[in-house]
Amino acid sequence: MVNVVEKIKDTHKKINLLDFDAHWYRRAFHAFGATFLVYYMLPDLDWINLLKFWVPPIVVALAIILETLRLMGKIGSDHFFGLRMYEKNRVGSYVFFAVAILILLRFFPQQIAIPCILCACLADPIMGEIRNRFGKKYVYPIGSLVCLLFFVVTWYKADIRLMLLVSIVGASGAVIGETKKFWWIDDDFMIQMVPAVLLLIIWVCLPDLGFSYPDPIIYQGIWPW
Amino acid sequence: MSKKKMEYIENEKIYDKIVRAELLFMPLLIIAPIIVSVFLIYDWYTRGFLVNDPAFNIELILGVIILVGNIIFDVPFIKSLKAVSKKD
Repeated sequence: MVNVVEKIKDTHKKINLLDFDAHWYRRAFHAFGATFLVYYMLPDLDWINLLKFWVPPIVVALAIILETLRLMGKIGSDHFFGLRMYEKNRVGSYVFFAVAILILLRFFPQQIAIPCILCACLADPIMGEIRNRFGKKYVYPIGSLVCLLFFVVTWYKADIRLMLLVSIVGASGAVIGETKKFWWIDDDFMIQMVPAVLLLIIWVCLPDLGFSYPDPIIYQGIWPW
Repeated sequence: MSKKKMEYIENEKIYDKIVRAELLFMPLLIIAPIIVSVFLIYDWYTRGFLVNDPAFNIELILGVIILVGNIIFDVPFIKSLKAVSKKD
């Protein structure tokens, strides 16, 4: 018994000696966001549709409540790992990230939502790393290429002229959303919503432009249960 | 290292608690995207590749993008989780 207690104490000691790098934690957290694309794979069953309807807004509401309590001083910023210094007195970027993903999943067609979410989850940390390592002047060209790739890949089933239009507009919107910094709104929100709104305008005008709506990107799963 | 970027975390005990919480969260952070990408690739294989339906090719590409994208950021993240001291 004593041996077990000592082992637990020793493990606690070792865990306390571990250190996280907040920088890479934020990057990994961004990439983790791509997990939410599972939303489109879930099968069309009543109980799953119910979960799809309620779980995302509840999670976002909890994040907003937590953030409100932090900003009101009820919970110390000490308890939030990975926050940047400028986020101490402002809404944390994770809330903006979650709200934008919720809006995209709920209100936008998946042909618009998927590339925008990929831009926030993968292009944003890539652009951040490029800025850190090579300087700001490389962010625009490389960031544009990465975002362009995501839009080309997700719209490849569409007419080639439409694919090019959507890719150029979407990638430009994502890069502008990421690089234009505002204190009151985070780039994690802008990188998703700027291209999404621009593409929604194109989407609404598709019949007038003589194009048909492209097929879905991810098909609903057919799971055994 | 992280503490330099989080100067407002002044209480060492709270910092240790947060790190422990993140340690518990880490498996989800790493495994969940891998599971989703495997689902996408599996869906492409069963409903696309086996029945020769090219409509599902995009799921393969998305699965690979999510998998590679996550590995790129997860590897340095795991490397950053290092034992500070081996003396104890």
